[in-house]
Amino acid sequence: MNDDAAQCVTCGDVAVLGEVVELRGSTAVVALAGGREEVAVDLVGPVALGDRLLCHAGVAIASAAVGGS
Amino acid sequence: MRHVSEYRSGEVARGLAERIAALVEPGQKYKLMEVCGGHTHTIYRHGLEDLLPEGIELVHGPGCPVCVIPMGRQDDAIAIAEQDGVIFTTFADMLRVPASRGSLLDAKAAGADVRIVYSPLDALRIARENPDRETVFFAIGFETTAPSTALTLLRARAERAANFSVFCNHVIVAPALLAILRSEGLALDGFIGPGHVSTVIGTEPYEFIPREHRKPVVVCGFEPLDVLQSIYMLVRQLAEGRCEVENQYSRVVSRGGNPLAIRAIAETMELRDTFEWRGLGFIPSSAMRIRDSFAEHDAEVRFTVAGARVADPKACQCGEVLRGAIRPWECKVFGTACTPEQPIGTCMVSSEGACAAYYNYGRLERRRGAGVLAAG
Repeated sequence: MNDDAAQCVTCGDVAVLGEVVELRGSTAVVALAGGREEVAVDLVGPVALGDRLLCHAGVAIASAAVGGS
Repeated sequence: MRHVSEYRSGEVARGLAERIAALVEPGQKYKLMEVCGGHTHTIYRHGLEDLLPEGIELVHGPGCPVCVIPMGRQDDAIAIAEQDGVIFTTFADMLRVPASRGSLLDAKAAGADVRIVYSPLDALRIARENPDRETVFFAIGFETTAPSTALTLLRARAERAANFSVFCNHVIVAPALLAILRSEGLALDGFIGPGHVSTVIGTEPYEFIPREHRKPVVVCGFEPLDVLQSIYMLVRQLAEGRCEVENQYSRVVSRGGNPLAIRAIAETMELRDTFEWRGLGFIPSSAMRIRDSFAEHDAEVRFTVAGARVADPKACQCGEVLRGAIRPWECKVFGTACTPEQPIGTCMVSSEGACAAYYNYGRLERRRGAGVLAAG
């Protein structure tokens, strides 16, 4: 469970934004509300430290526009 | 909290509520469907409904993947889990879903090796660590989750993980919306559209809704201000006589979606001719199966799967809840025989389910106007 949203993050239309703090090949470590998590970044474009990724079930599914509305 | 608090300002919420109220015609009803369970939770967790004018009615849609899996598929999952040598991996929400003969949790208690995973990639790791056993992943979810399954299948094939397979139950959202639009008596005025599904598929797949059914859609994020702004955008479209797909969640959603994720899904899965949804029945082209080229990782090929259709318990009205035909508290067993601790239907099991949301946030009956819960 995501302790902030009190929702299950393992399924459905729930995903969480995390900031990339470490990169290891096709894996990124992202800082999320509840701690750090490793996610696969194969399905998003090139990733850099500080990027915000939308993470779902251990996989980044989108990059968030920084400062986007 | 960074990136969150700015979407939860009570002051901004009240301002949006006033702007919505200014657009609402006195005496007119606006029936809006929030497609996703995540939106339902946001609405009731933050008391948004209490900020809205009386004329706006929010009804829950079919967007909870746990809730829409029919009983027969859950029976099939348990049958696979009970086979000798199988490690059956699943998202936590599926564990307690009642099937004909108990749940996956009951099967685990009886000796089946059922393990909770956070990601299908964790299931693949378990397969790697247990080369002498079969590891099966119970794949459920909409287009949000399908990319993680697709990526796992691609990696499984690349590393020749011959002992790994997927029991695929991925569903897609647009055909379910079409089924709802075609159902009798709902008379919806618009849709609060899926947010994270749309990060993958984009907003284009919803364009048939305004074009062919004259209903507006606003793709919506999951913070309270996202939902209020989306309701404002829907009501504004209705007030101005417009009817189109608008994107409130532009910080992560584009019209074309995520092409890498779409390609991964297309490479590993294809549309089924039809699939049964709890409450909505069989819907053509509404779910994915694993492509023949990945058959060695398809649990439906590797195991005998009965595929029998099983009726829901008579007392359960999840189907009507999922169609938006009744509100959870109108179900005969809501909050009495059916609770999160002892669920009868899926909508009470999943944390995304409408019944669980209404129950957990104390919305046990309609009592709008009984008090405003601040959204900040």
